[in-house]
Amino acid sequence: LRLICTTTAVQRKNVGASGPEKYTEAFIKKQIEEFNLGKRHLANMMGEDPETFTQEDIDRSIAYLFPSGLFDKQARPMMKHPTEVFPEQRKIQWGEDGRPFHFLFYTGKQSYYSLMHETYEKLLNVQKHQDQLIAQDLSPQKEKRNLAGSRWLTKIELEEMLLEKVSDNDYSRFIQLLEKLVALPCAEVEEQYIQKFSKEVPVQSQKVVIEPLQHDERGVAFSTGEGKRKTATATAVVYDNGTGKITVNGIDILHYFPVLQDREQLLFPFQFLGRIGKHDMVCTVSGGGRSAQAGAIRLASAKALRIFVTEKEVEFMRQAGLLTVDPRVKERKKPGQEGPRRKFTWKKR
Amino acid sequence: SSPAALAPCRIMPVRWSRYNPSYLEPEVRKESYQKPLEELTEEEREQAELKAVRPIKAAPPTLSSSVFSDPMISKFTNMMMKSGNKVLARSLMSQTLEAIKRKQLEKYHKAPENEKETIECNPYVIFHQALKNCQPIIGLSNITKGGKTYQVPVPLTDNRKRFLAMKWLITECRENKHRRTMMPEKLSQELLLAFNNEGPVIKKKHVLHKMAEANRAYAHFRWW
Repeated sequence: LRLICTTTAVQRKNVGASGPEKYTEAFIKKQIEEFNLGKRHLANMMGEDPETFTQEDIDRSIAYLFPSGLFDKQARPMMKHPTEVFPEQRKIQWGEDGRPFHFLFYTGKQSYYSLMHETYEKLLNVQKHQDQLIAQDLSPQKEKRNLAGSRWLTKIELEEMLLEKVSDNDYSRFIQLLEKLVALPCAEVEEQYIQKFSKEVPVQSQKVVIEPLQHDERGVAFSTGEGKRKTATATAVVYDNGTGKITVNGIDILHYFPVLQDREQLLFPFQFLGRIGKHDMVCTVSGGGRSAQAGAIRLASAKALRIFVTEKEVEFMRQAGLLTVDPRVKERKKPGQEGPRRKFTWKKR
Repeated sequence: SSPAALAPCRIMPVRWSRYNPSYLEPEVRKESYQKPLEELTEEEREQAELKAVRPIKAAPPTLSSSVFSDPMISKFTNMMMKSGNKVLARSLMSQTLEAIKRKQLEKYHKAPENEKETIECNPYVIFHQALKNCQPIIGLSNITKGGKTYQVPVPLTDNRKRFLAMKWLITECRENKHRRTMMPEKLSQELLLAFNNEGPVIKKKHVLHKMAEANRAYAHFRWW
């Protein structure tokens, strides 16, 4: 049982939650003072203005003054603000008499439970507001929240915010509570609180620039597209005013792809747009196996066909999964196992 | 081994995939894109909005928008496949469908005029109806209580029903046939029998139903 889509970030140790602080506040303050002083000295050394000396300038100057041929970037000399070097850690949670400050200290996850309590309080607040509106005979307006540009904080970001470990179950319960809060009609009252836990996702950056049509010597319009699948790469040139002939590496598709499934995949974009007999295609493909090459050509032809078609149809193609690169590759074999998943035969003795 | 108690969890401990969890499944059929905006229900409208924003997974090689690609047939072909030999499985499937069509056409031409309309010639329709007829409604599960293991009647999900129907058909065709009969012939025979609610697979389904009815007393052992 593993988390979906594990990344290296998940395996990073959550230093903030590891225990009480190793560096006192006074120590960190002193470090910050020394850093600022050092920054001014460095600016003077480099002959630049100390007031407008940014972190990039610092990195540049250190790389110039202390050149290092070391391979690992983390091992080279660096000068960063102490908050980046010493990770944020929780202060000691109890006073001199041993009595903890927070009333939820003995639950073990004080920040998490206090957060849940706060969020629930906001929920009750919103419900009270709604009841008030109903009592005044004003119907609560239901404004659809913009799903487009926002996502909730990930578990790691939440851990960094709370400075304590959050389990998967706890995280999902928190997200459920947030969704419940957002789903209520008058949630705008607590919009500020909700925005603390949502992040912008730039959707517009996914806008892909489509190349314009080109014309060859005979005046026929054509466009090119490139596609990849597993280890196969393909380039497709789709000509307008054609008869539906498709050539792969100089060979007709009937001979190159004897299997029906591959030919179906090649024709998939054309059939989806209803342009089967209208275009000619010349492709080159290398690498991969039979199915991978077919998938690569399918992606290349779909990309090439984007120009001949309206924007709405491009969106339909994307929703049909024709324009996404398939990220699935062969999984590596692990040591102690026979294959990627298969373990060695279990022998009792 | 992940019971329903984990269902409220959004991070389902599942076999991991190369796609980010925010990727949605692709919709390949052309008709769903030709519907105008007004005809959609509330849920469909929300789905469409979500699809416009989220990234979509790539369509798998077995899926296509042509009339000839059917998800049930692909699933059945994959289950028939051995050691990744998809070419062989696909050819067996097409030979089966051809055999069904031939048998039905023979019956059609031999039948008298008034019965000609009742004979179904479309092999896809026969396949779907046969599968539907083979699906059990209720299943049995082993529950250990007080040291003894009881067979408790339990409702089945759609996916499980389809899987059981397909599995029974395939195992039936592989085991109970003469050494020299080919798989397509035997499969077409079984499918036609299942279409008419006869044959060993339907009998197996009825046996399962009878067992479930017999063990009704233990139904309260189920806790989910």
